Amino acid sequence: MAELLQFVLTGVTVGMVYALIALGFVLVWKSSGVANLALGQLVLISSWFSYGMLVQAGLPLWLGFILVIIFALILGWVIERFILRPLIAQPILSLITVTLGMAFFIEGAVSFIWPKSVAALPRLFPQDPIRIGTAVVSQEYLWAAAISLLLFGLLSVYFKYHKMGIAMRATADDQMAVQACGIPVTKIFSRSWMLACVLAAVGGVLMSSIGGITFGLVHTGLKAFSVVILGGLDSFLGAIIAGPIIGLAETVGGGYLTPLTWPGVREVIPFIIIIIVMFLKPYGLFGERRIERI
Amino acid sequence: MNWKKLLKIVGFVSLALIITIIPLLSAGCTTGSNVKVGFSICYTGVAAEKGRPMGNGKLDCMRYINDELGGAAGYEIEVVWRDNQYDAAKATTIINELMGAGCMLFTTNSSAMMMASAETANRNAFPGFAVFSAPALTNPPQHIYAQMPDYGDDWAAFAQYYLDNIWEGEGSPKMALHLLNNTTGYGARDAALLLADEMGIEIVATEEHTATTISEMESLTRIKALEPDVLYISSTPQPTSIIVQNAVDLEMYPGMTIGCGHASFTSVLVELAGDDADGVYGVYPTVDWGDDVPAMAKMTEYCQLYHPEDYGNMDYITSWAESLIVAEILRLAIENVGVDNLTPQAVEEYGFKALDNFDVGGLHGPVTYTEGDNRLSKSVRVFQVQDGEIVPITGWVEAPLIPYEFD
Amino acid sequence: MDLPAGTRNYTYAQDMAIFRTKTHWAMLIALLVILFTAPLYWGNYWLGVANLIGITIIAATGLNILTGYCGQLSIGHAGFIAVGAYTSAVLTNRLDLPFLVGLICAGLTAGLIGMIFGIPSLRVKGFYLAISTIAAQFIIIWVISHWSGVTGGYTGISVPPASIGGITFISQSSQFYLIMVITAVVIFLAKNLARTRAGRAFVAIRDNDLAAEVMGINLFRYKLLAFFIGCFLAGIAGSLLAHWVGFMSVEHFSIADSILYIGMIIIGGLGTTVGPIFGVIFIRLLQQGITFIAPLLEGTFDLPAGFTTGIGPMVFGLAIILFLILEPRGLAHRWQLFKASYRLWPFSY
Repeated sequence: MAELLQFVLTGVTVGMVYALIALGFVLVWKSSGVANLALGQLVLISSWFSYGMLVQAGLPLWLGFILVIIFALILGWVIERFILRPLIAQPILSLITVTLGMAFFIEGAVSFIWPKSVAALPRLFPQDPIRIGTAVVSQEYLWAAAISLLLFGLLSVYFKYHKMGIAMRATADDQMAVQACGIPVTKIFSRSWMLACVLAAVGGVLMSSIGGITFGLVHTGLKAFSVVILGGLDSFLGAIIAGPIIGLAETVGGGYLTPLTWPGVREVIPFIIIIIVMFLKPYGLFGERRIERI
Repeated sequence: MNWKKLLKIVGFVSLALIITIIPLLSAGCTTGSNVKVGFSICYTGVAAEKGRPMGNGKLDCMRYINDELGGAAGYEIEVVWRDNQYDAAKATTIINELMGAGCMLFTTNSSAMMMASAETANRNAFPGFAVFSAPALTNPPQHIYAQMPDYGDDWAAFAQYYLDNIWEGEGSPKMALHLLNNTTGYGARDAALLLADEMGIEIVATEEHTATTISEMESLTRIKALEPDVLYISSTPQPTSIIVQNAVDLEMYPGMTIGCGHASFTSVLVELAGDDADGVYGVYPTVDWGDDVPAMAKMTEYCQLYHPEDYGNMDYITSWAESLIVAEILRLAIENVGVDNLTPQAVEEYGFKALDNFDVGGLHGPVTYTEGDNRLSKSVRVFQVQDGEIVPITGWVEAPLIPYEFD
Repeated sequence: MDLPAGTRNYTYAQDMAIFRTKTHWAMLIALLVILFTAPLYWGNYWLGVANLIGITIIAATGLNILTGYCGQLSIGHAGFIAVGAYTSAVLTNRLDLPFLVGLICAGLTAGLIGMIFGIPSLRVKGFYLAISTIAAQFIIIWVISHWSGVTGGYTGISVPPASIGGITFISQSSQFYLIMVITAVVIFLAKNLARTRAGRAFVAIRDNDLAAEVMGINLFRYKLLAFFIGCFLAGIAGSLLAHWVGFMSVEHFSIADSILYIGMIIIGGLGTTVGPIFGVIFIRLLQQGITFIAPLLEGTFDLPAGFTTGIGPMVFGLAIILFLILEPRGLAHRWQLFKASYRLWPFSY
């Protein structure tokens, strides 16, 4: 029983980390309809940049963060301007594949600029774990969960009430209509990518302070896809709720299934969930059902 | 002509150039020298973290041997090296190339790459030398030789040390295994399955993790419930640091003993895990930088001169030692059959199999070939992390021969 | 197809012919002669590279049929190749069945599993399908690595060399013939597939699947058929790969390889038969070039540490991006333009 509590706690907190990354994905999808398969790599490069700022250049924490945010904004702008804008009206296959190409390129660039493949960031949060009953959870995860919730709240409010947010939703719906209203579509794409990169940067910094910077961040990015599929591609609420669900499924499911089956079952559970969701409810828990007309 | 068109033309011209030049480049690369070795190094790609310092170590040492020691028995050793990018298909084409280029032997620095090249090498009786090895390569013994003990040997050596020096209770200690999901991890498990009962250790749990894990609380919770006395982690530094930190969080450590295999026991582990790693044991088959052994001075000099960024990296030491051994093998073969009669088979018969207590300048245990065992060196040292430093606590410990059976 | 001036088609057979004029036939025969006499003068290394290219062409053709002709984006191809490779390895190693049985079973098993993972394509498309194929890849690799009793798990499994009748294909040149024959047959079948009823159904589904359904094309049947054929070819390629390397381990089949295959068919040109050939040759030669570049650069220049590690993926990623932006129809399109301009020269308009 004590184990269950531990599993649940770990699952929820790890899931919130996934949700944080998933928010970035949903943001890009919601505002431009592009599937960003390079999410993990964007997290990676932001983490390495923060390493560069905080450790290699030895800047103080607050200055380092501001620079990381600026870097993420510039990165998002560059990606949108040079890679995505030429492909505006292309079929979705091209868009997805160009993000794949971008993913490769960013991985190469990371190895190029920072040849070390593993590095540690200075600890951002106090190390002592918090005890809840008999279970233990590290404070870092709690902070990550709290920040995810905060970002979720901010994003939802932004998309619902802020002028730019509404414009982004409108663009995802119908680009021509938006242009007819006089809103520059390219500017909206720019903004959404810049924002998505900032989200990835925040997620990356949080995750790297917990576990160090490695190529594992990319793999966690892949797991975030399962969160996105379960929650629905265009729903922030879906991402926040599906994150802990996937985390729980991994930890609790893995926790109890592993002694019965093989060690390592935990790894495959998010992917099995993807397949199951595909069969049952393809658009996820909170996603909007796509209606197509010929 | 707008920029798009210009870009397209430039692109296609360079494409055509690349496709035509490459065959020509490799066509006429043979010199008259007979004393050639082939290195298949994972210099770039996902394993570059280890492959690059190891490649640098080998090449720097070959430079030292050729410049200062006069090569092997007075003949300059020609090195043909290729980057296999940790890709099995490339490893296969590379070994074909090395055989075709007239190399006498080849080496790899990764057990996975050696596995990919081993079939072709064994079919053609082309001897190979693996720095990091896996049990399947040397059992049954064919044409592949291992420089250093493999992950199964690490486990056996650590288990023996634990039983002799740390375990103070009655009966059998309970051990939990935490394994990386590849040959590194499962090498230890295979050894444990074969030897644990005989040695008197009870394996209570076998858990697996990936190289990209961010939290092992769940698996450690299960392990905690079984109350093991010792946890053995066979992995790479980053997941090991996660496991150690989680074990500290769950208050399992300090309390039980933690031991690591050589793949994870480097300074990176200490860097990532910080204070939590204090007291963790590990095995490593070579000495550490700065130890007082004959080969340290020259190695440090060349490292600082050519690749200063690799100073402090234990993998550099392993491949520096490997080149010393390769030179010795060639020297023995040349002395036995003469330089004009060198063939890969002769090098194997009169070089590899003639190695007898060759001392690699003290960098690791002496290298000997014994009949029926293709592992050339079987000793490791046990280290412990003390105050953020990796400190050796034993001399050379020999790993027992493990009765594997592979088809 | 563009025919030279003065050639007219008077029968249906002439209209549908792939090799219409005498020049076409002459060039085809010349190509086949050069290809099949290559082992006489190519060294072992280049034969090995050619074998690798042949195997990759088979797999890429399969992916092309699935993604290029039928529009079902699949980023899990390496997983299906793994299925084929392991089936063949297990059947020939553990059960001592002959190579041909292993080959066919590899194809069938991969095709079947492809069909199972293709079922979501009936409900979703585009990005959703891509994600479910990524999931398929991970699940397949996980199953293979944990089913250690059969597949050898992480240790891997050694594969005996291929043998048909009494001939054992050990040397690179004998494997060259085996692989090239199979590759030629596969390319021929793929070309003809595009011209049959099924092929036209695939193209219709790609262009607008709702309209296709309205026209009476059974989406269920044809989408699953596309998955089956695509993964069948992947299985065949996997089996040949297993016997060529001689040793199989799960580490050879990562998500990066799946992305590589997508990159190959995009650079080559989606939806054409020669596209995969161009793409594969381009990428494989680029990769072989990279094995040379690190030693060359290290020897001559004093470069910063991460240069050679980073340059490979950067160049590849950049190639994909640039091809998609500048030449989305790939090298095959360039080839068509080249042929057309050659035919019309000196009147290039």
